[in-house]
Amino acid sequence: MKAKTVLVSAAVGVGLGTLLLPGAAWAQTIVSPSTTPVGGTVVLTATTCNPKSGDAIFRVTGPNRDINVRSTTAAAGGGLSAELFTAGFTLGTYTVTATCGDGSAAGTATFTVTPIGGAQAGGGTPGDPTGSVAAGVALLGSAAGGALILARRRRHAVTAATG
Amino acid sequence: MSRRRPGWAVRMIAVLAAGGLGLLTSGLSTYPPRPDDVPAGARPATRLPPLSRAEPVEVRIPTIGVRARLVPVGADARGELEVPPLDRPQIAGWYRHGVTPGETGNAVLVGHVDTAAGPAVFFDLGRLRPGDTVRVTRADRSVATFAVDGVAAYPKDRFPTALVYGPSSAAGLRLVTCGGRFDPDRRSYVDNVIVSATRVP
Repeated sequence: MKAKTVLVSAAVGVGLGTLLLPGAAWAQTIVSPSTTPVGGTVVLTATTCNPKSGDAIFRVTGPNRDINVRSTTAAAGGGLSAELFTAGFTLGTYTVTATCGDGSAAGTATFTVTPIGGAQAGGGTPGDPTGSVAAGVALLGSAAGGALILARRRRHAVTAATG
Repeated sequence: MSRRRPGWAVRMIAVLAAGGLGLLTSGLSTYPPRPDDVPAGARPATRLPPLSRAEPVEVRIPTIGVRARLVPVGADARGELEVPPLDRPQIAGWYRHGVTPGETGNAVLVGHVDTAAGPAVFFDLGRLRPGDTVRVTRADRSVATFAVDGVAAYPKDRFPTALVYGPSSAAGLRLVTCGGRFDPDRRSYVDNVIVSATRVP
């Protein structure tokens, strides 16, 4: 019974939390993906803007940019979207602040423009070590073979002497 | 007479074995160590107040004997992450468009695994294990200490951009170097080895 009370109060807590939290979700801007290699395209979405009240404006600010991007399409999940092409962007983190067509604030989000691909962080070893590994294996093999022959001969010699 | 022959043979075998072992170890030790591919597990967030921005000047990794000066790096003309020049192989780079080590977010350090002259600053990065310590000295003389969460190799064409540069609510550190097979035709390693670490007290 006690466990039940705990469970119920936990459920009430979670319920209250979900009721109270969406304060931030009322005006939400999403950037997808939130990380892009320079030159990639990100989609900016103001989820709460009503397409009927006009285009949303996304203000993008960052290391070397302060631009306004106008929404071009209605987002599938509701709201308005625009595509942003990051070619020529300085690497770093950008902030997107959206305003709906009716002038209401539609939230902010950030995204990061990163280098492309991995790092060329190796110069290669001097020559190919595969050769010396193979030679080492060959030498060890012949040593083992020699040892085997020797051991057999000795055994033969012993059997010959005793026999 | 029959006594001398085995003596010679034994000596011959010993020489062959020693030579073989020598070649094998020298050949194998020129390959950078492979990481165990421990994915970065979630570390219980110790709520440390983030440090303010201060450029890092030196990185120390005691378990693999690294003590290296850091220089700021950006990206080259193709948009790839810059690495300190090959003729200064013992210097590592700090990605200057990201946060500094100790700030909230992931700070990125990059260093060569080797050059044509031999092992470089991050040669043994693949040897690191979860829990190993990385210390970064910053320009304001403060030291940010990090504990390794995971070490893994990723093919360069599937570089985990979000893991390395992505946003984070904790103060993280990412160490990047090369690894895997060296492709002599493209003069390049096929993988990147990435160490993930989180700031600890």
